[in-house]
Amino acid sequence: MATDLRISNISKIYPGCVANDNVSLQFKSGKIYALLGENGAGKSTLVKILSGVINPDNGEVFLNEKNLKLSSPLDAKKNKIGMVFQHFNLFETLSVFENLSIDATEDNKSLRVRINKILKKYNFNIDLDVPVLNLSAGQKQKVEIIRCLLRSPKVLIMDEPTSVLTEQETEELFISLKKFCDEGILIIYITHKLKEVLSLCDEVAVMRKGKVVSVSQTQNEKVETLANKMVGQKLAKIKKKINISKNKDEIFKVKHLNFYSDDPFETNLVNLNFSVKKGECLGIAGISGNGQNELFQILSGEIITPNTSIIFRNKEIAKLNPKQRREYLMAFSPEDRISQAAVPELKIYENVALNNFKSSNFFEKGLVNERKIKEHSKKILSDFSVNTDNVELKSQFLSGGNLQKLILGRELITAPELLICYNPTWGLDVGAINYIHETLIKINDQEKSTILISTDTEELLKLSDRIAVIYKGKLSNIMPSDEVTPEKLGILMGGGSID
Amino acid sequence: MEDLLIRIEKRNDVPTTLYFFTPFIAIILTIIGGGIIFYALGFNPVEALKFYFITPISNLYGFSELLLKATPLCLIAIGLSFCFKSNNWNIGAEGQLTFGAIVGGGVALLFYNQDGFYILPLIIIAGAIGGMIFALIPAILKTYFNTNEILVSLMLVYVSKLILDYLVVGPWSNPEGFNFPETRQFSDSSRMPLLFEGLRIHAGIFIALAAVLVSWFVLYKTYLGFQIKVSGLSLKTAKYAGFKGKTMILIVFMISGACAGLAGVGEITGPIGQLHRMISPDYGFTAIIVAFLGRLNPFGIIFASLVVSLTYLGAETAQIFLQIPQYTGQVFQGMILFFLLASDYLLFFKIKFQNFSKNELRH
Repeated sequence: MATDLRISNISKIYPGCVANDNVSLQFKSGKIYALLGENGAGKSTLVKILSGVINPDNGEVFLNEKNLKLSSPLDAKKNKIGMVFQHFNLFETLSVFENLSIDATEDNKSLRVRINKILKKYNFNIDLDVPVLNLSAGQKQKVEIIRCLLRSPKVLIMDEPTSVLTEQETEELFISLKKFCDEGILIIYITHKLKEVLSLCDEVAVMRKGKVVSVSQTQNEKVETLANKMVGQKLAKIKKKINISKNKDEIFKVKHLNFYSDDPFETNLVNLNFSVKKGECLGIAGISGNGQNELFQILSGEIITPNTSIIFRNKEIAKLNPKQRREYLMAFSPEDRISQAAVPELKIYENVALNNFKSSNFFEKGLVNERKIKEHSKKILSDFSVNTDNVELKSQFLSGGNLQKLILGRELITAPELLICYNPTWGLDVGAINYIHETLIKINDQEKSTILISTDTEELLKLSDRIAVIYKGKLSNIMPSDEVTPEKLGILMGGGSID
Repeated sequence: MEDLLIRIEKRNDVPTTLYFFTPFIAIILTIIGGGIIFYALGFNPVEALKFYFITPISNLYGFSELLLKATPLCLIAIGLSFCFKSNNWNIGAEGQLTFGAIVGGGVALLFYNQDGFYILPLIIIAGAIGGMIFALIPAILKTYFNTNEILVSLMLVYVSKLILDYLVVGPWSNPEGFNFPETRQFSDSSRMPLLFEGLRIHAGIFIALAAVLVSWFVLYKTYLGFQIKVSGLSLKTAKYAGFKGKTMILIVFMISGACAGLAGVGEITGPIGQLHRMISPDYGFTAIIVAFLGRLNPFGIIFASLVVSLTYLGAETAQIFLQIPQYTGQVFQGMILFFLLASDYLLFFKIKFQNFSKNELRH
């Protein structure tokens, strides 16, 4: 029987952000649909609504013209909507079979028969009796898929399924998905990888800022056209005067940066080489999860990689920890401002003391100099217009914008020569974003350098002098940002190439 | 995630006063729980509880015994608080205590027939170093080989107890002791000075009090204390700030081991006066409860050590007057921990009961 899934006028509003804005889409079985968009475009929200994890503020979902009430994941299951999330929901220490039998309603014997049938039919090579922790990421995903198939789904939603897969596993997945599609299962494929959309899907819906901006047949699309739709023609309002002069000194130089990890949720970095000039902002664009986290931690000294050379102001610093790097006048603003850059349970002045540079005298002879730290904190609060002057306040009571101002203030008050920041404005309101952008531009005006790792292309185009794109742990060529168009960035971020 | 009827949510801000008040709730609940157990065993609960909590400290001797047993508990718990505050789970204090006692006791035996004011300080220092060395084993294995300190420190308890066993029946056993598993009596110069004639309480209590003051200073007024605090709250932040994580792990384990070692020598040079198999009624394990009941706060730990010490005394009294095994003391200690954890859970999390919608009732 044909399946017809219709989403009608779905809206979901979070404080300060419209995640889904009147989204309407229609899907029919026999086709694979792509849902494409940048981070924060609203794909995940929509998928969570379809799988019953969150409830929409407005709008309805129809399956074969029946209005579905999806108030819990159980409702989605009962209505034969299956979902494979990016992060697996499996018990690592239980066997494959035990994992599959947890929510089964039949006895083990007949369940095993049914699972074996599925394994055979789709050529899945999985031993049912080994613990899940011994499986590769691709096999774990297959277990999740089997779990869905056991309920004979009408709709199968795959959320960024290839982010943890190897090339080979990706190919296998595509073959299986095409088979499911031929059998009449409606497949919705969420991704930001343009090539996958073109090679796998029949129709593509592009989302941007909570809205569906286009629905089209993939055969009419190219990497470029999709990139354009995904990133949009974003025009920055205040754009920095681009500042590229060839004869400026290179203040920071990275050579042979390689990183290898066994953890499938970490990204390996492959031979990154780049340098930053005095007074310059180097932007690093990319969809999140392409190695930005690892790159930031290596640049800050939280991870030390062998055989990497990092020269900063003519000194080799690759083996130094973050505190030592700060002494050489580097500063860091990590993505996770809530629980990494600051500790929510600590008071403001204690959080300020985390950046304990030598000349600060915060800790003289190993003793806490509370008076010094508080004075210094007060100065940060007023210089960086944080809307409190109470240094005894726990930082969990600061809004995101004020917390970020505090962190930037803490990092910048030492007058660093290089600031490395990662998504400095995520989740902030427009006022705070503008303040932080102006601050970052000011740093460059004072001939200090910045490295801006960001998933927000608009921000990058606005602030960077040169831009590179990181994709699957590899860095593209570095381009002067006046030669970069949103379209070019989109292609590179989606794994395409421009030449 | 299935939709459950009960939803657990983290509370954002827990008032400090309430945070320090919940241990009292746990103690009250423990007393009530104890009463119920006594009632079930056929005793009059009020009378039994009186034997347990009032009789032991109704005279001066009892009160001094309370302080005597609180001394090692307090010392060990102070040391453990350094580990626990920085997310290092040293649960082998019992082993560090034993090894400290072995090293300190070894020094005492060296001087068994000598007198001199310098002997006792030597023993005390040796005990502290012994405990420190023993605590360094899990610390080094953790920092350089990524082992789990919980397992290693726990298993080392049995190692140190077996070493003690071997020494007291073998090389160190008293040549005039008729093969009893014990060493010679230490000389008077190796014994902690008693504070009062006729009472067992000894100068070790000053070591414990000094430890309280020093630890308060270190934890709240020094850079080391700040690093410990930050690492305990967020290891990610500690890493980002560039704290020397490995060095800190070694330091907190050394502090913790030294305290346990001191508690060990305090016992053997205090009330015991020699080495034998039973130098500690699991003070090292019970001190874990003390540390948490005292909220890892030096002054809280003083209070907690007195309360837990009372359960040891109460168990002895109950054994005499009610003919019930003294292991009931452990039941009470277990209840304290259980009720503390339970009230902490309610303190840090909200439990929300969800409304049934008709939709959910269908299945």
